[in-house]
Amino acid sequence: MASSIKREQTLDKLFSGITFSAAFLILVIIVSIFISLFRESMLAIDAFGFFGFISNTAWDPVRENFGAATTLYGTLITTLLALAMAVPVSLGIAIFITELCPRFLKPIFGTAIELLAAIPSIIYGMWGLFTFAPLMGEYVEPLLQKIFLPIPIIGKLFTGVPLGIDILTTSIILSIMITPFISSIVRDTFALTPVQLKESAYGIGATRWEVVKDVMIPHAKTGIFGSIIIAMGRALGETMAVAFVLGNKHAIATSLLDASATITVTLANEFTEADTDLYLSSLFYLALILLGMNFLLLAIAKTFLARKGKG
Amino acid sequence: MSDPIMTVKKLNFYYQGNVHAVKNMSLEIEKNQVTALIGPSGCGKTTFLRCFNRMHDLYPGHRHEGEIFFENSNLLERTDITELRSRIGMVFQKPTPFPMSVFDNIAYGLKLKGIRNRAELADRVEQALKQAVIWDETKDRLKQSANGLSGGQQQRLVIARALAVEPDVLLFDEPTSALDPISTGKIEELMVKLKQDVTIIIVTHNMQQAARISDQTAFMYMGELIECDKTERMFTNPKQKLTEEYITGRFG
Amino acid sequence: MTEIGKRKFVNLIALSLACAAAALGLFWLIFIMADVIRHGIAYLTPGLFLNEAAPPGMAGGGLKHAFIGQLLITFFAVLIGVPLGILGGTYLAEYGRHRTIGRFISTLSDIMISVPSIVIGTFVYAIFVKPIGHFSGFAGSLALAIIMIPVVLRTTEEMISLVPWEIREAAFALGAPYYKVILQVVYRGAATGIFTGTLLAIARIAGETAPLLFTSFNNMFLTTNMNEPMPSLTVTIYQYAMGPYDDWHEMAWAASFVITLFILGLTILGRLIIRWKYKN
Repeated sequence: MASSIKREQTLDKLFSGITFSAAFLILVIIVSIFISLFRESMLAIDAFGFFGFISNTAWDPVRENFGAATTLYGTLITTLLALAMAVPVSLGIAIFITELCPRFLKPIFGTAIELLAAIPSIIYGMWGLFTFAPLMGEYVEPLLQKIFLPIPIIGKLFTGVPLGIDILTTSIILSIMITPFISSIVRDTFALTPVQLKESAYGIGATRWEVVKDVMIPHAKTGIFGSIIIAMGRALGETMAVAFVLGNKHAIATSLLDASATITVTLANEFTEADTDLYLSSLFYLALILLGMNFLLLAIAKTFLARKGKG
Repeated sequence: MSDPIMTVKKLNFYYQGNVHAVKNMSLEIEKNQVTALIGPSGCGKTTFLRCFNRMHDLYPGHRHEGEIFFENSNLLERTDITELRSRIGMVFQKPTPFPMSVFDNIAYGLKLKGIRNRAELADRVEQALKQAVIWDETKDRLKQSANGLSGGQQQRLVIARALAVEPDVLLFDEPTSALDPISTGKIEELMVKLKQDVTIIIVTHNMQQAARISDQTAFMYMGELIECDKTERMFTNPKQKLTEEYITGRFG
Repeated sequence: MTEIGKRKFVNLIALSLACAAAALGLFWLIFIMADVIRHGIAYLTPGLFLNEAAPPGMAGGGLKHAFIGQLLITFFAVLIGVPLGILGGTYLAEYGRHRTIGRFISTLSDIMISVPSIVIGTFVYAIFVKPIGHFSGFAGSLALAIIMIPVVLRTTEEMISLVPWEIREAAFALGAPYYKVILQVVYRGAATGIFTGTLLAIARIAGETAPLLFTSFNNMFLTTNMNEPMPSLTVTIYQYAMGPYDDWHEMAWAASFVITLFILGLTILGRLIIRWKYKN
């Protein structure tokens, strides 16, 4: 009997050890990602420094002069534009699902919107390249030019040849991709609004929109903020959809109809072609910066949402 | 008459953060009798019950002092906890069927004990189900999921599962509080019948239940044992004022 | 207009905009799906699955090599990623549930789920492809497995936590040691959930392209050697779509159709299983 008890205890220790190792692996992987990307970037870090690298607008493989400014610019501008388009639409969708959608349609409509998140990014790329970009280039962008070009200042944003392969098209596609992330989190937080709170607002004669605006949205503030950050992280790291329709041009674009490049597109297109050590190392450096940004954003979002969860 | 199977001596129990949940309890548990633990919510009766099969060992940060004598040793110091738990079984408030068939539920504890022989398993499963008076209701659905049974049936199944490993003691933690009156009646009847085979300790909120089924009743308040006596004496002529007030429903 | 009238008007406008937003979301889904189906079905031929690639510019040929490569890469990714994810999730929900390290790793996994997949690709390139000197199917599987692990881990943790704690106590009360409680009781209770989580994780990695670009790379030929550069459906779609030939574009569409169907099918199946199992 005693020996079998001992055996059980040993097996239990063993199983707990195995499961612990598997969980601990997460930490090991994350630390190794940081360390290995940092090590691979050393050459470029030594050559360009940090501020020197992110402020340098050159990306010249021939002269081996590399800077992150153009790709960072492209990454941030497409991400911010995508967010600007996705946030109002996502809020609208969340409001529709929680307040307006007939009950029997709720699960179907909710799933439909979430399917947008399940479509692989390469499909967005295919659709973007062969269907959406030509439509943009042929119809939408010329129309936008007709409207906005005569207007001073704003007109500048719409100069150039409308090809459809540009920042505008990319941002729209990115906004479609991140919409379900924001809307599903916001919808969940909307659902947590105490019913009494809503009823007491209705009770003093508020309209449905006023209840949404003055009760539900303030109540869901943290959720909305967290979801935007998570969506931002997703947009920053999106690769394939963007690679199809942004054009991979290393320049600071001033028009929405210019091609551009993001960190991810640069990696996707140039990684296997980098023929010098410094070139490859600069690409790793870009990846490290992207990882750093992403990690920081997510850590902020997590702390926010976690604090909300406690309070 | 006194034939204690377990003797509790000066038991103190502290939860994490030094919360003193059981204070200086001393009590004798009579063999083949039903001992009821009563008292208002939070009086420490469930905590006390869970000391007998060392359930607290699953959670960090608790501490105990004192002794519970069982088979000539202090069970609080035993290291073979899994063996101890197969001798002192437990039935919980909510029915806890495992996500497997009726048969496998009963056979689970037997398999833990190393019984692999199919015929012996089948035999002991049947025996346990009969003992818990649920054989007739389950004999045709042994291979079906236990989750398909009603709440009362599930609770009797769980009792059968605990009986299958032939324990000396069975701990019941408010076993009927989640059940309807008819199921409750069946389980009370069952407990009275079972005491020829096992010793029973039951925590209950329901004083009528304690009066109906127990031989000995212990009244706890704020972690302390206020009074312990033969059930009929306790309910007719309590020695302590506090006990009387509780029994007559003036608080609790 | 009266104050009340104004408020009612604002209400109407705002709610109409919400409906418009919902319609827009649905519009994109239908637009994209219709486009993929229209092109995909038009170019779907048996040859797509049965033939290997023809030389660039030549007519005919199929994507058999890419289908097989995709299956192999995904299979090995699942083989590595799923057990590790399940075991790790088990720790977080069971042995480590009260420990700081458990909560820390749980949060870390959430963050890791959002790490851009192309960064995982560069990582595997640095630690695996570069040291051995060439691209390989294994490298691709490794990259996908790393993407999968935190996903499976978190779903496992959640699904295991849904198994009522009393069930565990009941098993302990019969004298079962913790590992048997987990293996024989908890896993049974959480099986559907873990299975569904795994399905959804497979759906997630099946469409991944970026992490394969510089790990498994590509190959115009059929190979079953995981130690060689290996074609995948997704990287092939990218290459064919960006290429100059019309029949490449057609095959890219057909492959996109197949992969979308597979992924949306898995996703919907997963959701149905969850709804059926956890409807109460």
